[in-house]
Amino acid sequence: MIDTFKSVIDALSTPTVSFTLLSIFTPLVFPPTDWFDKINRKFGIWRLWTKPGLYTGMGFITFFFVVGYFDPNFNITLTKPDNFPIILMIYSMFFFLWLGMSKAYVNDERIDKGLKPVEYNDPDDKVLVWPDLVYIEFISLILFMVFLIVWSILVAAPLEEPANPATTPNPSKAPWYFLGLQEMLVYFDPWLAGIVFPMFIIFGMMAIPYMDTNPKGDGYYSFKERRIGIFIFMYGWLILWLFLIVIGTFFRGPNWNFFGPFEYWDPHKVVPLNNVNLSEYFWVKMLNTGLPSNIMLRESLGFITVFAYMFMFPIFLAKTWFKDLFAKIGPVRYTSLMLFGLSMFSLPIKMYLRWFFNLKYIIAIPEWFFNI
Amino acid sequence: MFNNDERYWDIQKLNKWFAISSVLFLFSMAWTFIDDNDDEFKEYQRQFRQLEIKITENNLEKELDVVKADRVSYEKDLSDAQSILDSKNEKLSTLQTSLIEVKGRYYNENMIYQGQKAEVDGLKYLVEAENAHHEDSSHGPSHKDDYSAALELLHKYKLIKETSESEIKDIETAIKKMNAEVKRCQDNLNVVLKDVIIVDNKLTKIDRKRMTFANKVGDVIRDLPIIDFLDPYYKVNQIVVREVKYDVNFAAVPKVDRCTSCHLGIENPGFVDAPQPFTTHPDLDLYITSASSHPMDRFGCTSCHAGRGRGTTFNSSTHTPNSEEDKLRWQEDYDWEVMHHWLQPMLPTRYTEASCFKCHNNDMDIKGADKLMLGLSLVDVAGCNGCHLVQDFPQLAKIGPSLQKLDEKVSREWVAKWIQNPKEFRHSTKMPSPFGQENQNTPEMESWNNAEIFAISSFLVDENDGHSSDSDYRFIGDSEKGEALFNSIGCRGCHIVEPDPTESDITLFEYTKLHGPNLIGVGSKTSAEWVYNWIKDPMAYNPDSRMPNLRVNDQDAKDITAYIMSSLNESFDNKPDVALDEDALNKVAFTHLSKQMPESHAEKKLAGMDLDEKLDYVARKSITHYGCFGCHSISGFEKAKPIGTDLTEEGSKPTIKLDFGLLHDIDHTNFAWFEAKLRNPRIYDRGKVSPPMDKLKMPNFDFNQTEIEAITTAILGFNGNKVDEEIKAHNRVDELAQKGSRLIKQYNCQGCHLINDFGGQITDIIGAPEYSPPNLNTEGKKANPDWLLSFLNEPSIIRPNLQVRMPSFHQISNEDWNAIIKYFQHLDNEKISYRDDLAIDKSTLEFNGGKVLHDLGACDNCHFYGTTFPKQDASTWAPNLAMTKERLNPDWVKEWLREPQTIMPGTKMPAPFLPTSDLLSIDGAEADWGKELIKINGDTEAMLDGLRDYVWSIKGKTNIDKTIQDYFDKNGYEFGDDDDDDDDDWGDDEDW
Repeated sequence: MIDTFKSVIDALSTPTVSFTLLSIFTPLVFPPTDWFDKINRKFGIWRLWTKPGLYTGMGFITFFFVVGYFDPNFNITLTKPDNFPIILMIYSMFFFLWLGMSKAYVNDERIDKGLKPVEYNDPDDKVLVWPDLVYIEFISLILFMVFLIVWSILVAAPLEEPANPATTPNPSKAPWYFLGLQEMLVYFDPWLAGIVFPMFIIFGMMAIPYMDTNPKGDGYYSFKERRIGIFIFMYGWLILWLFLIVIGTFFRGPNWNFFGPFEYWDPHKVVPLNNVNLSEYFWVKMLNTGLPSNIMLRESLGFITVFAYMFMFPIFLAKTWFKDLFAKIGPVRYTSLMLFGLSMFSLPIKMYLRWFFNLKYIIAIPEWFFNI
Repeated sequence: MFNNDERYWDIQKLNKWFAISSVLFLFSMAWTFIDDNDDEFKEYQRQFRQLEIKITENNLEKELDVVKADRVSYEKDLSDAQSILDSKNEKLSTLQTSLIEVKGRYYNENMIYQGQKAEVDGLKYLVEAENAHHEDSSHGPSHKDDYSAALELLHKYKLIKETSESEIKDIETAIKKMNAEVKRCQDNLNVVLKDVIIVDNKLTKIDRKRMTFANKVGDVIRDLPIIDFLDPYYKVNQIVVREVKYDVNFAAVPKVDRCTSCHLGIENPGFVDAPQPFTTHPDLDLYITSASSHPMDRFGCTSCHAGRGRGTTFNSSTHTPNSEEDKLRWQEDYDWEVMHHWLQPMLPTRYTEASCFKCHNNDMDIKGADKLMLGLSLVDVAGCNGCHLVQDFPQLAKIGPSLQKLDEKVSREWVAKWIQNPKEFRHSTKMPSPFGQENQNTPEMESWNNAEIFAISSFLVDENDGHSSDSDYRFIGDSEKGEALFNSIGCRGCHIVEPDPTESDITLFEYTKLHGPNLIGVGSKTSAEWVYNWIKDPMAYNPDSRMPNLRVNDQDAKDITAYIMSSLNESFDNKPDVALDEDALNKVAFTHLSKQMPESHAEKKLAGMDLDEKLDYVARKSITHYGCFGCHSISGFEKAKPIGTDLTEEGSKPTIKLDFGLLHDIDHTNFAWFEAKLRNPRIYDRGKVSPPMDKLKMPNFDFNQTEIEAITTAILGFNGNKVDEEIKAHNRVDELAQKGSRLIKQYNCQGCHLINDFGGQITDIIGAPEYSPPNLNTEGKKANPDWLLSFLNEPSIIRPNLQVRMPSFHQISNEDWNAIIKYFQHLDNEKISYRDDLAIDKSTLEFNGGKVLHDLGACDNCHFYGTTFPKQDASTWAPNLAMTKERLNPDWVKEWLREPQTIMPGTKMPAPFLPTSDLLSIDGAEADWGKELIKINGDTEAMLDGLRDYVWSIKGKTNIDKTIQDYFDKNGYEFGDDDDDDDDDWGDDEDW
């Protein structure tokens, strides 16, 4: 029974399966349109944001960890002092997600009924910084200190052997908060995954208030009033960031190979990775000729593809489906939104291209260290 | 104070939360302190303190017991003296009262005196200033009068003060006198109680129950948190070992050992029976103590034991269990677990000797490191460093026989069958088995290997299919005589003849018997002609052979040949030849070819080769692949590089870099990996699917457990741990002597001779030490190096009645002999290589006394004098005294004459009788001893000098080999009271 459960979890955890499932599941949990909302209602997914939903979710996570604790293989990963923050993260993320969403659902219902949100206050009704804010902050601070002290007493610092350039650990893992970025390195060239994307994430988040000027939901929880925005953000945050951290922590073993949580980390495991560049697909496989010696000619299809995706596609969208949006927010906001949004969605796109077509790079110019 | 209605939160509730969180915070801080101070080592130190108190109390009792009887009378004396003193109590108290009074007066007088002195000094300055500026007297009145008046007053005060001073002295003397008897008795008692007092003092320092209240309080306070930085009782003991480094990859830092924080009794011999971790070190003579050669403050603990010296808990110091039982017990008692991130965990006790090598890395005689020595010898003997480079322990010579002229010796068929399984022919061979191993046991692999074997055999024996075994009568003599010769002239120094495997202990001593091959089945291997020629001159066949020339004459050589050839191995003879499967040969050749060129070219090339070319090609590739040239000299492979992993720093290679293959049941420690590899070199191929060329190829040496542990010790010793040059042992040993010691092992000198108290196994075969090769224990002091070199190059007879003979090692160069001689001198701490001839004055008293002693001693009963035979028969013959002058060092000869038995136990040489002065003073002594000895009057040194000088003056032929040979040719060795002297034929020359 438990073994079946384990093998099912192992099978489901494979990136292709889990990522696809989560990608399908996200719009159902955070329905961006009425159509998705209908399905959400039909299957009762919204019940996740009720108290039984909280208990079920917490119960499932705990069950998973308890089973994992008694599994000889998962136990090793789970009890590593380095991975303790990830476990905390999984609990706390679920809890705060639940907290926000359950409040949002309550408010949505009130708004539907024409009532004010729960958090609504008379604009003249103010509270004082001291003691109302500073006091609770101070108490939280003390409690958090207690937590840190107890943690440091109970779990020794996860020090390892002296660094040796001739013997790197296998797998070599970044600190837990960077594991999502490290996971991106599987699909992107370092300059993209390590420099451009992190900067886009920072600038993109800074740009959100300027791109999304919808004043609804200010000061109170609400899902319905900005469901597309929440969906996009949740997809990026939960799937493209947190889930990648979880993969990097629990599922990436020796040689950065993928292992299900209950699988033994066998350093001998070999997974063939015969990845092919787009230019090779085009020139060699389709046209049956050698690669052109001119780099620009060789990669022309890649450049056209990227250009089309990043520049032609937004124009096309602005003329068709996003016509209203474009009219509403104007060219500058529209361009920014497209730049950040398309960059974000290039990650899942690239992942699927890799999984289904073994596509290595769309533009591959190793001569200049320029690969996309 | 607050109006709660104005607040968003309930302040009272928040106050409660604040209180709760503050209390929690306080508790967490307290916990921090407790956790920080609750170290494991402190618990051990508390236990040790109790143990120490107990042991000290026992000691106190013992000491008290010892003085029980003695102290009674001293204590009585003391109490008597005390009562006498008490009776004079009144007088004493009067004296003491007046002492106080006088002292008070003196204090005042002295104050006045000192005050006046200051005044005088002030005036003195003024007067001197006046003198300096006398021409300018306008400065004021002169002070000269004041000064002299003050000076006078000072003198007066001084006299008053001194009166009181002497009064004090008188009173003090009187008091002292009254107390003197008591003090003397007390001192006497203290002398008796000295040991008791020492133990008692110690006890009051450690036992809280015996402390004063103030000390008790101090004893508690000194170990309180924060205050304990000052002078705690429970503290980390640490040794910084500057000369041994721990490599943190980017820097080497001195080792820091805190082991003694828990191992508290390690240097105290009183804790031998104490439980761990308090037990005394088992070898305090060699380690730990400041008198030993490895004092703890210079060498620490982890320099030898390895491990994490900074650790102060059982686990963090990376203890490694020596056995499975230890492991289980530790898991039970200490929650022991492996600390994966410490790359040099403690060595299990069975491998501690490995650490000796880091300082003794070119020392062949490491006392007390038998396992390491055995391991290093095995590395040499098994030829490990033929394939595996070890920079600190390089190969001196190829260990296997030369295969350059193999076709003169054996047949191709024999070679093939031998390579296929050497142990089938000779159970004790050192040749490891490269084939027939567990990763080669498929039929495809067998035919593949057979093709390789066939190719190698036909490559090595390319002329006429080699020389088949035959017993040509021209080279065959009398086998029985041959056997006797074999057992007596020295062959057994290196060879055994044991048809069946025997169980024997694996020790270095046993190994000296196995230096040369076990000579069984030779009749099935080679021809009588080859054996005969080999015995006559091994270097003619192989100039690099380690087999010496025993200078046997033709007939003896024939006899020995007959004996050796008589051993046959029928089952090996009957074994079918290795079959050549041409398809397999093609496959092997094609695989090799296709590594060098595209397959289509390889196919073409293969098709163009005939069988001989294919065999030759496959043979060359296979020899390269299996690295045969690591041990054997093979033409065409002179410059080939060793094929194995470099083992120079293998002992410190991180375990993660050792390939455990797909095995999970071997402990993840480097020594477990080495052990398994040595036991079965192909073990890590288990479960792997590799093409033939990628399979593991280390041959199987069939080592037993003892050998495996010894070699593992050596490998663990080959590591990258850094020590400073100053601490290395070789600083004290000449490099040349080091080389000499290895050469002595290489040529197995210790198979026949006792050198540095080791060796001489041939004595067991010969029987009596006096007919065995001589003990070379004092050779460095004894032999004149010039003579020794010429002797080693061309041995001549020294001990005329020995049938065993010193062979000629013509393959050893002068340079190497020099190293060997240097090693002898190093052993005896002999610094002088060149000496003047000993000048003899024949007119001195000593010389003439020596002559008398010589005549009385009847040296000529046993010793030759040039060609003059001794008076007694051959069984007691001793060296030619005419040779002494050039052969021996005068200082040694004197010591030898003093007491031959101490230098060479078992020698037949008696110490000359030296008359004492008592003996010489009896009447008529002059008639017995002569006037010179009477004058010397029993001076031992003078008599020994004289005797030695006389021996130096003996003249005669030095090389009397011919004379002696002629004698034994005629008379044989039948003098023997010893069973080994039963043969007659003496070779064309000598022995020693």
